[in-house]
Amino acid sequence: MKLFDPHIHMTSRTTLDYEAMAGAGIAAVVEPSFWMGQPRTHVGTFEDYFASLLGWERFRASQFGIRHFCTLSLNPKEANSARIAQGVIELLPRYLSKDGVVAVGEIGYDDMTSEEDKYFAAQLELAIRFELPVLIHTPHRDKKRGTERSLALIRDVGFPEERALIDHNTEETLPLVLETACWAGHSIYPFTKMDEPRMVALVKRYGSDRILVNSAADWGVSDPLKVPKTAALMRESGIADADIEKIVWRNPVAFFGQSGRLDLDPAGDSPAIDQTQLWEGNSVLRGQQPVVKR
Amino acid sequence: MTQTMSQVEALLRALAERRAQPAGREWLARTAAAAAAGAPDRGALLEAFTAATRRLGRGQLAPGEDEIERLRAAGVEWPVAGWGADELGRAALLATAAAHWPSADLEPLVEECYRQGDGAERQAVLRALPLLPAPERFVEIGIDACRSHIQPLFEAIACANPYAALYFPELNFNQMVLKALFTGVALARILGLEGRLTPELGRMAAGYASERRAAGRSVPPDIGILTGGTLTGDQP
Repeated sequence: MKLFDPHIHMTSRTTLDYEAMAGAGIAAVVEPSFWMGQPRTHVGTFEDYFASLLGWERFRASQFGIRHFCTLSLNPKEANSARIAQGVIELLPRYLSKDGVVAVGEIGYDDMTSEEDKYFAAQLELAIRFELPVLIHTPHRDKKRGTERSLALIRDVGFPEERALIDHNTEETLPLVLETACWAGHSIYPFTKMDEPRMVALVKRYGSDRILVNSAADWGVSDPLKVPKTAALMRESGIADADIEKIVWRNPVAFFGQSGRLDLDPAGDSPAIDQTQLWEGNSVLRGQQPVVKR
Repeated sequence: MTQTMSQVEALLRALAERRAQPAGREWLARTAAAAAAGAPDRGALLEAFTAATRRLGRGQLAPGEDEIERLRAAGVEWPVAGWGADELGRAALLATAAAHWPSADLEPLVEECYRQGDGAERQAVLRALPLLPAPERFVEIGIDACRSHIQPLFEAIACANPYAALYFPELNFNQMVLKALFTGVALARILGLEGRLTPELGRMAAGYASERRAAGRSVPPDIGILTGGTLTGDQP
């Protein structure tokens, strides 16, 4: 069974992670742009960040046989920074039109400030203009309220619900999302957010329609193998293979496929692994034998 | 270059249009016509440059004999068989701007297509560089690509492209050749190498071979090209 991790920050991960992910069956990832653990202070930083998500990281993933797509945005935390927020919004149109950008995101709420409201709405409008889906982060604090406000804003802006993925759901927020036409993501974390047994219970209760799981792995304590681990526990717990496959592959393909840019097998870019493209002296291989799979 | 820019433009567009689906052909014609008329609109051209893959696809150019002959007559004497349809379309769009815009407007356009481009867009800029008027003004873009660890990007300037041999300063050209050696690129793919062989490049190649031998590693089989045959590489 092929697996899709629809939310993972590979820029913060190592090549060992890529190897382990490919070995566990992960064939495609979506990397949302996010913050760096500390505030950025220049708009130009985002230009380089977006370029690295579209260039270097996509190439790095391809060296391990993994398709890499990204979502771009001004993230909720940095929406509060007057130094950069408006400048990033003005920069986004140049990058949202790129191949491999499959949504606007992560957008949404962090502290639920008026600035966050303003840029959340502005980016929903950008998604409409560029015919892209949106990936919506829900806050860690006051999560239920943040989810309700996100759903309300989507309605107020008139953004099509079926093109919105509400992420980081819990037992309390999932029913709210499923009442709408939005899709529901779940970040399976070692200690916080959601774990595998709780996810199994949610699937048993709510089924597999519009349900996605991701690792949301980043530079913090997190696990890039949470999608395969969750799929394994679902199987052990008696959930049907068809439902598992829907959650870990067909749902993310259907959701991000709405961008028209989820090109899972582009002709000009060999899907086979060919690490002979690299040799010692570069930063992916360090003198070991390159892997070639045709 | 004996041909005018507009002849190159017309040829590239004809090649691109021949390979495109009807919708893509119509898009390219409309976009190029808009770019050729009126005041330069950099934003519109940047947008079209980005959209080229979705409009034109990625099919290989694979030119026929007659097309190769026409390219040669227009001054494109290097191999373009490996270009994608999108790269051809992007080169055609840059050629349109080069043919119709004031020279000073071309520089920021090419610079932004590269700096804000994803991997594929950057490759297209690099492949188009030798087609542009006064190509030497874009040398920093070519040199920047040699610093990339994205191998296809490096090869877009280093391989099957006459630009580096024609316009790179000696230091940067030599560094590019050494990088080709240690990334396993066959030296035969570097166009114009024979005209840029120097004692300094030979010394650098000999140093590289010595370092490899000392580490118990193999030496690229074609290294003798750089040293006038005084060094022999290992057979693969």
